[in-house]
Amino acid sequence: MTENTPLTENNTEDMETRPLELGGLAGTFGTADHKNLGRLYILFGLTGGFLSLVLHLLVRLERINIGETSILDFGSSNQYFQTWSLSRTSLLFFCVIPLILGLATYLVPLQIGAPSIAFPRAAAAAFWAWLVGILIHVVTVFSDGGLGVPEPLTQFAQGMDPEATELSILSIAMVAVAVLLASITLIATIVTQRPQGMTLFELPLFSWSVLVATGVWVLAMPVWLGNLMISWVDFRGADALRYGNVENIWGQLSWLWSQPMIFAFAIPVLGIAGEIIPVAASKAQSQYTIQQIGIGALGVLSFGAFAQPFFNADVSDQAVFVGMGLLVVLPVLTFLGGLADTLVKGKPKFSAHLVLALISMIGLLVGTTLSALHVSGPAIGAIREINSDWLSGLINWLTDLQGTVIATAVMEHALISSLIASIAGLYYWSPKIFGKKMNNNIGVLAGLSLLGGLLLSAGSNLINGFLDEGDAVYLATSNSEVWNQDAVEFLNVIGFIGSILLIGGIALALLDLAVSIFLGKGSNDDVNNPWDGHTLEWATESPPPTGNFDEPPVVNSERPLLEVGGGSE
Amino acid sequence: MNLRTTDLPVAPDVRGRTPLVATGFAVAAMIMYFAGVFGVYLKERAQVRSEGLPWIPNKATIELTQPGMVIWTLLISIVVMQWAVYSIKRDDRQHALLGIGTTLVMGAMVVVQTTWHLSQTNLIADEGPTTAATLIFTIVGSYLVAVIIGMVILLLTGFRTMAGQYGSKQTDGVVAASLYWYSLVFVYFIIWIAVYIAK
Repeated sequence: MTENTPLTENNTEDMETRPLELGGLAGTFGTADHKNLGRLYILFGLTGGFLSLVLHLLVRLERINIGETSILDFGSSNQYFQTWSLSRTSLLFFCVIPLILGLATYLVPLQIGAPSIAFPRAAAAAFWAWLVGILIHVVTVFSDGGLGVPEPLTQFAQGMDPEATELSILSIAMVAVAVLLASITLIATIVTQRPQGMTLFELPLFSWSVLVATGVWVLAMPVWLGNLMISWVDFRGADALRYGNVENIWGQLSWLWSQPMIFAFAIPVLGIAGEIIPVAASKAQSQYTIQQIGIGALGVLSFGAFAQPFFNADVSDQAVFVGMGLLVVLPVLTFLGGLADTLVKGKPKFSAHLVLALISMIGLLVGTTLSALHVSGPAIGAIREINSDWLSGLINWLTDLQGTVIATAVMEHALISSLIASIAGLYYWSPKIFGKKMNNNIGVLAGLSLLGGLLLSAGSNLINGFLDEGDAVYLATSNSEVWNQDAVEFLNVIGFIGSILLIGGIALALLDLAVSIFLGKGSNDDVNNPWDGHTLEWATESPPPTGNFDEPPVVNSERPLLEVGGGSE
Repeated sequence: MNLRTTDLPVAPDVRGRTPLVATGFAVAAMIMYFAGVFGVYLKERAQVRSEGLPWIPNKATIELTQPGMVIWTLLISIVVMQWAVYSIKRDDRQHALLGIGTTLVMGAMVVVQTTWHLSQTNLIADEGPTTAATLIFTIVGSYLVAVIIGMVILLLTGFRTMAGQYGSKQTDGVVAASLYWYSLVFVYFIIWIAVYIAK
């Protein structure tokens, strides 16, 4: 381990103004340092988020009609479908997952007092496999590939290229393998690299949420990978029968973007908010174990590998699925209650990361509540025999919601909450990650823009779901049998404005990152522990040196810096 | 307030067993992969049979000789691999290497026998593609990939053992390789029962 110069009055200033060093091109491409890998994930994740939200905007544009004509005509239902599916694939694999992995790869070793991530070369291999895989996937989708088509037997006549389609399947499989590898390195780090005294109950909430989230991914994503491989083997054959038939491919894969599985990608929202809010409130989190149980419960309730409608069409009426959909709101509510208690009892200091963390928590709470609403029809029907006409009508109405764009609203709440939480984490940890603070005012503005975007985009989908607009998997004209065509059209315009606000929010964060960090305009005052943080990452320099810490510490508390008087309460 | 970890008491030791924990989770991921594919296989087979149709095409032949040889090869490889672990725990690198090398050769035998067996099944040639053929090729093909990954792990473990990295005080790498190998035997046992015996 590199020996570091002890912190003294004389050298503090030099250390704080030390420039960000990626080590040049060779250093960047050859790095196995978890800090450089984390930064790379974050930069590409934010860029991928911008791209995916632009695709999201194009899909919203297509849903707006003037008279009988859509504002944006994709030319064929295939091209619309490819844009639609890529907007989902990229939001998950090119934005949310890399942002979570980036923060986790950078921060988990620091939070647990480890000198490095376990298997640093495997972590580097995971990053590059992810990057190459997702770039190939995006290119192949734009080259007439993609994960299937909406209409049978016309796919290649409409310009789809079978080789590009095959490469789309294999490249997204490569991404999934990379995510699994990165997850395993993080789990191994958390389980085996903790210092003496730090039991799992003393893990910082962010690291705990990463452990739970990656644990669920490691158990569920291989099942999804299996679906991909079955499709590929069938597609590769001379005459695809069922799984590789292009009209069936997306149907086998879509469960990853549906409840309950979609909430597995929102688990770190709790961890990030659980780090930021107590520090912003200058108050130790009470009922810490209950908060950890809340995160664990969200993990259990988001394991969705069994919920594959393609192979089990009745799954949405089955007790386990319905029960998970109803219960998933409870851990989020409990966790938010704990945070609210800390906020009320503490002395909260207004900051961008606090605003963003609160927005992400509220977004996730609304998402899980919608999930409960989404499954409530079968739930009520299962509990008792219904004799009342109006109650039967209500149940049928609630059950019919399952085929509507409410499913999209649930997905948007989960993934965009995760995106907002990641940006909150970026504002909170930017002094640690980049050695400079990001601009607080721009952060608040980005947060408000993202909140507005989430409310308008997911909110319009929610109301359109009540108006019976179909979840537009196959046809762009799925709103032909809605209750009120004019209302749906109007709400799609509102959703379009929401998409613009979402793009604005992420663009502001990207711009702030570029100006504050790379143009060096951000403040570097007291970057070592600017918020009086409670956890170990704040007990080293910013950015940390090779080896992270001078000595591996003994830790007997979930907030070790409070114990020695470094944090504030 | 600026703090360093030197302000906290120094830890005496760090937890070990990192390769073992990582291998445990990698094995869990592999088992979930096969569980998912088997789930599809059993569901589809039940569906086809409920319609009164044969699952395996009539002209296809799935002989049990080669799968039987493979399962015996793999069962013996458990003993041989455990011999490597036993030896490394006693600093007997020569026998540990012999155990690892023999397991590697057995892995190559599994790959050769299974590939040849697949080429003889006639699953596709006469009746064209079937869902059964797709799923059997996916399951067995994925298994071959998993065996080849296991062989690469054994090769690396062998090189590291030869270089003196592993011994009685550091057995994690060899134990982790054995854990992965035993899980391969477990997965093949399920394939043997579900695909070859029960058909």
